[in-house]
Amino acid sequence: MAGHIDIKGIVVIVGNYGSGKTEVAVNLALDQHARGVHVRLADLDLVNPYFRTREVRRLMASLGIEMILPPEGWLQADLPILTPKVGGLIRNPGELAILDAGGDGVGATVLAALADAFQAPGASLQVFQVVNPFRPNTQTVAQCLAMRSTIEAASRLKVTGWIGNAHLLSETTADHIREGHDLMQALSKASGLPLLCITASEPLVAQTRDMGLNCPILTIRRQLVPPWLKPAAWHAID
Amino acid sequence: MSKVLMKGNEAIAEAAIRAGCLNYFAYPITPQSEVAEYLSWRMTEVNGVFLQGESEVAVSYMIFGAAGAGVRVFTTSSSPGISLMSEGISYLCGAQLPAVFVNIMRGGPGLGGILPSQADYNQATRGVGHGDCRLLVMAPASVQEAAEMVMMAFPLAEKYRNPVMLLGDGLIGQMMEPVEFPDHLKSEPSNKDSWATNGIDHRNGTTRNLVRSLFLDPEALNNNNLMLRAKYERMKAEEVRFEAYNTEGDYQVLIVSYGTMSRVCKTAINALKGQGVEVGLIRPQTLFPFPDVAIREAAAKPSCRTVLSIEMSMGQMVDDVERCLHGVRPVEWYGKCGGEVPTPEEIIDLVKASV
Repeated sequence: MAGHIDIKGIVVIVGNYGSGKTEVAVNLALDQHARGVHVRLADLDLVNPYFRTREVRRLMASLGIEMILPPEGWLQADLPILTPKVGGLIRNPGELAILDAGGDGVGATVLAALADAFQAPGASLQVFQVVNPFRPNTQTVAQCLAMRSTIEAASRLKVTGWIGNAHLLSETTADHIREGHDLMQALSKASGLPLLCITASEPLVAQTRDMGLNCPILTIRRQLVPPWLKPAAWHAID
Repeated sequence: MSKVLMKGNEAIAEAAIRAGCLNYFAYPITPQSEVAEYLSWRMTEVNGVFLQGESEVAVSYMIFGAAGAGVRVFTTSSSPGISLMSEGISYLCGAQLPAVFVNIMRGGPGLGGILPSQADYNQATRGVGHGDCRLLVMAPASVQEAAEMVMMAFPLAEKYRNPVMLLGDGLIGQMMEPVEFPDHLKSEPSNKDSWATNGIDHRNGTTRNLVRSLFLDPEALNNNNLMLRAKYERMKAEEVRFEAYNTEGDYQVLIVSYGTMSRVCKTAINALKGQGVEVGLIRPQTLFPFPDVAIREAAAKPSCRTVLSIEMSMGQMVDDVERCLHGVRPVEWYGKCGGEVPTPEEIIDLVKASV
């Protein structure tokens, strides 16, 4: 396989609606935690009412991963609540602070409100755009770049890299992952920005490794599931 | 077209376009606002119209106007918004105009909450609006089925010249699943000349089309409502849809459940099968007309001792289950609301307690 994912400082996860930002942010936090990195995870999704990072707060608490969330009484509201603790997290990110933003430009707008905090001297800031090429509107390089422009304009931040998250949930095959990887490499080339990693659900990780792709693979253990499915069991990475 | 990953709300929006509906009026409300968000850009690609009304009441009459003009039209909302539309829905039934209404239910009463619910069952299946009106009500359990039902809804609305409602809980709108769409269907109601006020000169031989629900003469109103009743009876005869799951062999318990709640039930049924306990499931795909006969026959199986109606509500569909069983089997309700969804484990315990 092609190395581990190496991230430090402030890491902002952006992307279009349903690109899998939250699942990626959660699994990225789990991955880094398992590698001994001190991680904190902030839920900045102010626009999406369901399947938010806050739904994994119990798992995170059990692992000792601190989450920055709206106040408990407002967790299920569709109100734009931004806890002041987020500003503190950005000023003092510690080893790694992952910020999960909402979808599209609308969801990324919250980041603009934090722009001053991001400008702190010495801040290490990386912004990764998650792409699932099986979602409408991010199926071509041009569409992904257009989405990047929308997000950058709304967030007042520059995307600094890509995360490939090609999947069709339980119907995903290795071919989908390869197809997604190829699009991400083309996107990386067209944008001049690096590809941080691609993702593969746990059952497809071995096959994905065998492809000999030139980028790290983030294992996805699906945590945000409908009530008839169980979240994938969490265990430390091999 | 190959499969794409879509939210239910997005798939509903795209399905309407694939069904040839190029007219959408709506007012945003969680958890269905993605339909409006999607159509705000998608309608421009297909030269369609999306106009946001100043309220759901206004939207229901924008629907009335467009339907009266003979074009395919639909709207989407969530529980409190559907309450506001109830007046227009009654007028559409009275004037016999076809349109499609989508209700992505949230918890109530009042403003309730934004999480999934099935608490508008009674409202939907009893016609939503005032007067002797009924809607044909379909309830999808997956994103793919939601898309297919939207595409079925338009021709059905036109067949009966009556509004059709798609009743989904918040999960149907918010969850993502792979979905694929067929090619475009025809874009205009084939029978619109029977009602549309489209400017065609009917003076030579045929009666002109009037869009109205006002009948001051009691005999005329009675006759009109008898005619509507005959349409609803025809729906009962021709449009019942349901899925039977694990009903081939013997089972001691029959579950009746619809929408995403039925998928939780299936998880429980599969787990129980592994423990040697057989449970059958009837999933109504149409809530009006209700699959009376299918439930009655499934419950009448000699091995079946009890029937469970499992809902994300405080007990609404259970009345229909009891009505169609005529006391042949004991019926129990189990449910939760407000965004709490009964878990597979709770259903397993419930079944074990009743066998």
